[in-house]
Amino acid sequence: MHKWLGKVLAIVMTIVGVGMVMQPAQAANKPHYTIATDTTYPPFEFQTDKGQYRGIDIDMLKAIAKTEGFTYTLKPMSFNAGVQAVQAGQVDGLLAGMSITDARKQEFDFSKPYYKSGIVLAVSKKDHNIKALKDLKGKTVAAKTGTMGAEYAKKMAPKYGFKVTYFNDSNTMYSDVMVGNTVGTFEDAPVMGYAIKQGTQMKIVTKPANGGWYGFGVKKGSNAALLKDFNAGYTKIVDNGQFDQIVERYVGENGYQAKESASQAKPTMWSLIIENKDALLHGLFVTLELTVVGIALATIWGLLLGTMGVAPNKFIRGLSTTIIYCFRGLPMIVLAFFIYIGIPNLTGSKIPAFTAGVITLVLNEGAYIGSFVKGGFLSVDHGQLEAARSLGLPYGKAMRKVVMPQGIRLMIPSFINQFIITLKDTSILSVIGLIELTQTGTLIIARNLQGFRVWLIIAAMYLIVITLLTWLSNWMEKRIH
Amino acid sequence: MAAIVDVKNVHKSYGDNEVLKGIDLQVTEGEVVVMIGPSGSGKSTFLRSLNKLEDIDSGSIEINGWDISDSKTNIDKTRETIGMVFQHFNLFPHLTVIENLMLAPTELGKQTPAEARETALRLLARVGLADKADVKPDTLSGGQKQRVAIARALAMNPKIMLFDEPTSALDPEMVGDVLEVMKELAEEGMTMIVVTHEMGFAKQVADRVVFFADGYIREEGHPEEVFAHPKDQRTRDFLNKVLNA
Repeated sequence: MHKWLGKVLAIVMTIVGVGMVMQPAQAANKPHYTIATDTTYPPFEFQTDKGQYRGIDIDMLKAIAKTEGFTYTLKPMSFNAGVQAVQAGQVDGLLAGMSITDARKQEFDFSKPYYKSGIVLAVSKKDHNIKALKDLKGKTVAAKTGTMGAEYAKKMAPKYGFKVTYFNDSNTMYSDVMVGNTVGTFEDAPVMGYAIKQGTQMKIVTKPANGGWYGFGVKKGSNAALLKDFNAGYTKIVDNGQFDQIVERYVGENGYQAKESASQAKPTMWSLIIENKDALLHGLFVTLELTVVGIALATIWGLLLGTMGVAPNKFIRGLSTTIIYCFRGLPMIVLAFFIYIGIPNLTGSKIPAFTAGVITLVLNEGAYIGSFVKGGFLSVDHGQLEAARSLGLPYGKAMRKVVMPQGIRLMIPSFINQFIITLKDTSILSVIGLIELTQTGTLIIARNLQGFRVWLIIAAMYLIVITLLTWLSNWMEKRIH
Repeated sequence: MAAIVDVKNVHKSYGDNEVLKGIDLQVTEGEVVVMIGPSGSGKSTFLRSLNKLEDIDSGSIEINGWDISDSKTNIDKTRETIGMVFQHFNLFPHLTVIENLMLAPTELGKQTPAEARETALRLLARVGLADKADVKPDTLSGGQKQRVAIARALAMNPKIMLFDEPTSALDPEMVGDVLEVMKELAEEGMTMIVVTHEMGFAKQVADRVVFFADGYIREEGHPEEVFAHPKDQRTRDFLNKVLNA
């Protein structure tokens, strides 16, 4: 048992070590910023089939950084998470087609407005009934959480008598409209126009309304230097015509075409896999990395909690029970947001998303592990501890040599179960911007709109890994017995 | 000879139920004391309190020179000198028979693994189970398990042995082997305190019989005397029931 535990620890150390080395090297003399962006908000930001981020925002940031001489790390996450990450100080700024509003000005300092937009209503291409807002009476429309489109929808809802449901990313929202769950969506005009141009089966039925400006935002009262650089760089690229070129690249008649062979036959499963091989493997790697590090640390934490749960001291037992109760009671998504967004808000220091993800897994899975470890120890006949103690073994030795080895044997099936749950639970961590396997799927679909096929590939990958993990666990179980 | 167990006025309650109502007992070195009495009379609780598996509420217990009613006394050191045999054997099922015997001596640094192995093999031979050294306990019969449990307790080279109904969980045909081992132990001069329902063993082996009822020691004396001429009414009733059943 000690041998394989040693091996697992060695692997964890290696992965953590590699993770540290993989952090981008920071140039000593140039300022380095972490900028959050939306995962999918074409034409402002989206991922290409090569796994790179493209779009008006991305190209503009690149041009400005070059002009002003700073470097940056891009952190794609959902728009909502991005807003919170800025407020928590987890990132320096948010560049995600964000409209400048009075409400947001309370929390953000904005750059010069860089792009003018307006809200349109778009419906399914097959829909012939809805031609204006008044046709929405009694219907439900979709909007993206935290966007101007959502605000506009909310404002118009009572007047025109429709309901609003909310989504976290554009593609799920478009799909919802196309399958007919909702009749239409309020979206920024350029975004909607681009999506339709890329083959989304929808049409715009209203003129842009409620026009507003996009701005780059930093947390109010901080990062003034970044904002100054951004403004200066923006002025320069507007003056030399570079900005117009960038916009033209995405929304012009001859603009960027995500699917270069859109008119050709639908992609096959195999071509999807080949095309997205790198992205899928990277997503899988992050998922496995989270799982392995998470499981190893959660096991240590869970064993500690379980041991505390059977301690002779009443206070220690109560502490263990309370910790297990709290962290089993919290939904993991709440815990993830609390650690990634909430704690930096309180302490003022950043937590890298990977670390926050691992802490979330350790606290959540550790509580479950602690609970069945305690149960396992309790199910060892009390006479075993008495016999060991009666021979003169102190409590700690009696537990380690007699009670624990028997309890752990009883727990092995629960451990295997928990490992599989942990692997699946890593997908929840996509909400704090970790691009693991599930988020990779979201990003690929954002680009190619092949939802069914891509989710099938992702599902198969999870199943394969879980099968391998189960085999490995069963093999280990046999070795121990 | 000097008393190696000296118990004075021990009281213990579980909630409102007082199970020990002032017990006094002295045992001298080499003596075999058998405690009998009806179920729930407090004899097992009392036996378990002698190595602090049960805490007492008041009174004092001195054993092998350690005052275990004093919370400052190192109970682990005390227990090293007290062997205990349980009704349900409590062998460690994840260890082989010989590992059961070697665990405490090696973990507590009393013996090197080589010495512990030698001692264990000698003790297993003595209880007639030398050929079972490398099997797991769950392959043994009840009688064999209890003999291993006795050998395990002896491996720590105790000064006194406590037996808590050692034959109650055994099939009748297994009882004899276990009692035989205990008898040999008594003949070799081991100090023993035994809780049992085996009246034959009490008559044959005990130097003294102690009769428990309702949390008191009602009567004690040489077995012939207690069995032939019980003074206490409760003792008479009890002996009537068990001897004429």
